[in-house]
Amino acid sequence: MRDTSVAAGGAAPLSPGPQQDALLAAVGQEIQDKGFVLASVDKLVNWARTGSLWPMTFGLACCALEMIHAYNSRYDLDRFGVVPRPSPRQSDLLIVAGTLCNKMAPALRKVYDQMAEPRWVLSMGSCANGGGYYHYSYSVVRGCDRIIPVDIYVPGCPPTAEALVYGVLQLQKKIQRTGSLYR
Amino acid sequence: MLLTAEQIEALEDLGHHIASALPEAVQATTMARDELVVRVNRHDIVRVLIFLRDDPNCMFRQLVDVCGVDYPDRDERFEVVYNLLSLKHNQRVRVKLSASEATPVPSVVEVFPAANWFERETWDMYGVFFSGHPDLRRLLTDYGFEGHPLRKDFPLTGHVEMRYDDQQSRVVYEPVRLTQDFRSFDFLSPWEGALDPDAAAAAAALPGDEKATTG
Amino acid sequence: MAQTEIKSYNLNFGPQHPAAHGVLRLILELSGEVIDRADPHVGLLHRGTEKLIEYKSYVQALPYFDRLDYACPLNMEHAYVLAVEKLLDVEVPPRGKYIRTLYSEVTRIINHIMNTTSFALDVGAMTPMLWGWEEREHLLEFCERASGARMHMAYYRPGGVAKDLPAGLAEDIYAWCDRFERFLEDMETLLDDNRIFRQRCVDIGVVSPEDALAWGFTGPVLRGSGIAWDLRKAHPYDAFEDMEFDVPVGKTCDVYARYLVRMEEMKQSVRIMRQCIEKMPDGPVKADDHKVSPPTRPEMKRSMEALIHHFKLYTEGFKVPPGETYTAVEAATGEFGVYLVSDGTNRPYRCKIRSPGYAHLQGLDLLSRGHMLADIPANIGSIDIVFGEIDR
Repeated sequence: MRDTSVAAGGAAPLSPGPQQDALLAAVGQEIQDKGFVLASVDKLVNWARTGSLWPMTFGLACCALEMIHAYNSRYDLDRFGVVPRPSPRQSDLLIVAGTLCNKMAPALRKVYDQMAEPRWVLSMGSCANGGGYYHYSYSVVRGCDRIIPVDIYVPGCPPTAEALVYGVLQLQKKIQRTGSLYR
Repeated sequence: MLLTAEQIEALEDLGHHIASALPEAVQATTMARDELVVRVNRHDIVRVLIFLRDDPNCMFRQLVDVCGVDYPDRDERFEVVYNLLSLKHNQRVRVKLSASEATPVPSVVEVFPAANWFERETWDMYGVFFSGHPDLRRLLTDYGFEGHPLRKDFPLTGHVEMRYDDQQSRVVYEPVRLTQDFRSFDFLSPWEGALDPDAAAAAAALPGDEKATTG
Repeated sequence: MAQTEIKSYNLNFGPQHPAAHGVLRLILELSGEVIDRADPHVGLLHRGTEKLIEYKSYVQALPYFDRLDYACPLNMEHAYVLAVEKLLDVEVPPRGKYIRTLYSEVTRIINHIMNTTSFALDVGAMTPMLWGWEEREHLLEFCERASGARMHMAYYRPGGVAKDLPAGLAEDIYAWCDRFERFLEDMETLLDDNRIFRQRCVDIGVVSPEDALAWGFTGPVLRGSGIAWDLRKAHPYDAFEDMEFDVPVGKTCDVYARYLVRMEEMKQSVRIMRQCIEKMPDGPVKADDHKVSPPTRPEMKRSMEALIHHFKLYTEGFKVPPGETYTAVEAATGEFGVYLVSDGTNRPYRCKIRSPGYAHLQGLDLLSRGHMLADIPANIGSIDIVFGEIDR
């Protein structure tokens, strides 16, 4: 059920069309009439959070290329407000793209610890999900969830850029469903 | 990448040339699958490589690769393999020597600076010690790694695995615990037998033979 | 006047740095902003590929090669496949050879687009990346149409390629070649005479031809240093013998020369791709030896023997006669070699992977000494390193 109240950030975003126009018109009307709009704070916060998920670019291996493809011209994750950041301090989302090796694991944890709350982790590709093709190797961490908690797993070797975009959209849904001011 | 008859002949001549120029250093030169292999004494490797680099008939100016191979059954279990390339003559040569855990191999970093990392890697992976190497640290494996992973007696999954420990707030190493072991099937089944009579001796040692008698 | 002593200090660059092209950790000794010493720490992506290959059958080990240099996957496969074929003594049918040649050039362009554009981004030019990666998407589509996967194709197999090109693909690639040449011209107008780009590239990271040889540099880095050496010309493999193309050579031995060599190589690759499509013969794409290459699916429906062959191939694999070989190809980054030792079983006894980026990265110290800190990204970009193949 979609939340039809006049609030920024209903449960699901409306696609452009008569419904969206009606909602926008109603909001505009309300601002004109009263000078303010009522919305529930957690929904507003979730709307803001999902609208600007800034990922930390943690490209480790092959998946990093598909991740860059997702940021680039064709898939253009920017349109979802997903703008890659090179610094953990500025980012909300950590995309673990590639095989996580033992030597790299402390660095991954350090990056995760440096990120400010609220933060989410997206594990991309079978190596990050569970070791994948390299599961039995002596130097590979069998899944990055041994090191950091993961919110969304994107399967594939490597997942296509489309799959990553889908994963980010799923994460947005998850934030809207579970996000709150109390953690 | 098939070689022409002249190229093969040139390689054979080169083998004779190397063997005659360095008789006390070279143990044997062989041609196998159109590739020239020169087996040398361990302590002469620097001399051999200088000769191969500078001799006008050789001019192997590029050291393409150094690597180790492990044969646990041999007395000197490791082979160190140097692959060289001559741009001038468009030829390749493979120089081999054998070593064990206890016998150091002279480093060739002075001859080819490219050997630096390749020797470090061989030390890391096999534990072949290179004497005279300027900086023989581990290269590829984890900081503080124990063992030499490419040795045949090192298990595929290693001895330790990694996990973040919430109590200690750091990553910790633990002994490996797999939910499912690596499935390795025995394809050297004895009932297929040795097709080649020459290989009969080797076939006698096939793993799985005991099944034929005890099973 | 009081004299102050400036001490050199160490800077830790990476392992998580956007300009490091992966997981490079560099320990830099700096005096002021000038680099005294660069010590790359690699192995942060060491996945134990060589060990894993020893535990897999020959065909199961093939996809590991895609994942080495993930920027030009098919070149890696090519070296391995040629090595296995050499040990097996299998002859590839002409069409298989041509398809392999075509696709090794496709991946060469895939790699060079990635390298030149992201290198341009590192030194401050953003637009080439946005344009170039769209072309890369087109190429990945071609890969997907041929093999079913965008990046990790596992398309080359011992004895040929996995399957024939689908109808219409060759024509589409041919049409793309024209468009791509226009893109290259556009990109050149953006970069070649760009003042900032030149300031960041010219006379940076100069390697003399002697040093380039001694340090084991290959590929565009060696050619950028003025040595005309290309394995596709020196020992032509597959159909490169029948192809007409030039080998670009740089004169100035610096970062800019290496960039120019890569740009020209892309044009030559387009030339080779056109010739491949024009001359593409008909016929089978893989060797007609069912001990090595699997039978077709219709055959399996009719013939019991074909079914058995298929089953044996995908469970046990094929046995390779004892022997060893070092086989190298001209990958997009340089000489990629596979030293394969077989002991007569269905698994490689030893498979040493000689990656070009490994030799290039150990020369980073040579390239960077005496340069400013800001030249490090330019140097890293120009030697074209990919950590999958360096760390293995």
